[in-house]
Amino acid sequence: MSSPAALLQSDTLGSRLTSRGDLTSFFMQLTAEIGADSYMLVAIVHDQDRNDARIVSSNWIFDAIELIGKRLIAGLAQGALTVAPGIRPRPLVASQAPETDGLITGEEARLLDVLGHAEVYSLKLNVGRQRLFALFSAATAGSIDQPALMKAQLKCCYALSHIPQLIAAAAMQDPLSDRERECLFWVSEGKTTDEVAVILGVSSNTVNSYITHAIQKFAASNRAMAIATAIRSGII
Amino acid sequence: MKQADIKEAAEALFNEQRNPFGAFTLGSETHHAVTIPDAVRRCRWIAVDINASAFGLFFVSPSAERARLVPCLDSDYPGVAVATKFISGANGEEIVRHTRNSTEPRWWTDDGIAAMAETFGNLAWTEQMAPLAPGTSGIAFPVHAERGQCGLVVFLGSEIVLPQDALYEIHARCFSLFAAVALMRPSDTGRMRAISKRELECLKLTANGNTSEEIARLLKLSVHTANQYLTQSTQKLNAVNRNQAVAKALRLGLIE
Repeated sequence: MSSPAALLQSDTLGSRLTSRGDLTSFFMQLTAEIGADSYMLVAIVHDQDRNDARIVSSNWIFDAIELIGKRLIAGLAQGALTVAPGIRPRPLVASQAPETDGLITGEEARLLDVLGHAEVYSLKLNVGRQRLFALFSAATAGSIDQPALMKAQLKCCYALSHIPQLIAAAAMQDPLSDRERECLFWVSEGKTTDEVAVILGVSSNTVNSYITHAIQKFAASNRAMAIATAIRSGII
Repeated sequence: MKQADIKEAAEALFNEQRNPFGAFTLGSETHHAVTIPDAVRRCRWIAVDINASAFGLFFVSPSAERARLVPCLDSDYPGVAVATKFISGANGEEIVRHTRNSTEPRWWTDDGIAAMAETFGNLAWTEQMAPLAPGTSGIAFPVHAERGQCGLVVFLGSEIVLPQDALYEIHARCFSLFAAVALMRPSDTGRMRAISKRELECLKLTANGNTSEEIARLLKLSVHTANQYLTQSTQKLNAVNRNQAVAKALRLGLIE
């Protein structure tokens, strides 16, 4: 039986989310509720071979982000410890970080520890087809409540669903028109230009022009790269 | 058997595996590929826990134009439930758009029982939508898997019990169920021959926009060899051309 008392403050804050400021207060509240000290909301942007981390919102101190660097943040967000909703998360405990797993070196682990991130949980957030990552960390290992954290993961997904325009600005936008997206999808299914023309009921010149526009919008060098970019950013 | 008996039996047998809040861990076998009957069973445990009388799991088709819900399994397995036919029919457009853009659950009531509207109406984060199947009540959870697959897990019933605190847990279990189902979906992966490291390197470079000539130069091969590798990987992936091979390799997670 649902009683109003079951609602935590994060629930009421989150379901009324409209602005960037609301997003910050929602995450601050959530961070407190699960026993963490810091949070960071990260979008990963694929740029050819490299993954770049864009920080959407965070309460880490500026120096910590500078010292640790975007590369490591992208690594933490996409590392082997990152879990999708529904899987029990495991923390990265800085003091026990093995140097061998390639995710983080001993030096970087010590740095995290000193900066107040002794224990870091990395969660994948699905907001429709968009993917974001949340890092929750605490200065003392073991102070984050795991079952609460798993619920918080879903709450983050819900809350971010309320502000698609903010998320789209942070992650890569979908620059394609419906028709361009559809052409690219069929090409990715192995159809030739002529086949796509038949499927969509337009001429093959039109199909070629849609695909050329898609390639230009992605600054790709050919069809294969345009398809790869679109799949990597979850557009098709 | 009454609902309560089923619940008790399920708990006795499977309690260890059924709940991600209890037992699922990163390397846990139970998260990985399952068969359809396994998935139906897992979905039934979730349905039993919220006292739903029927359920269904749908994939959202990737095509933007023909937005529709593709049925995967439901509570009448191996048959097909009537509600499933309604849901995958013409009424799907709104919920498909919602599933692509949002993760929030949506509910509907159309069975004239006031209690359901009250149960759902009290839930934070959720909103009402048009009925997915006429004359029923239910709740739909959008789910997403590793390679961008979208889906919807739907529970129907007139006596659903879903307190706020359980909402997150149920949705999390839907996510983990869908992840397992999405893994087994590409039916041709099972008999796929192993792709060599060299072939994957060529595919990856192709995905990054390199031509065969450039790949040959980068990997210090002849152009013919590079093309040979690409042809072989295309065949092994059961694709008709390079573009599809790149798309399939990305979707299967063979290359990043």
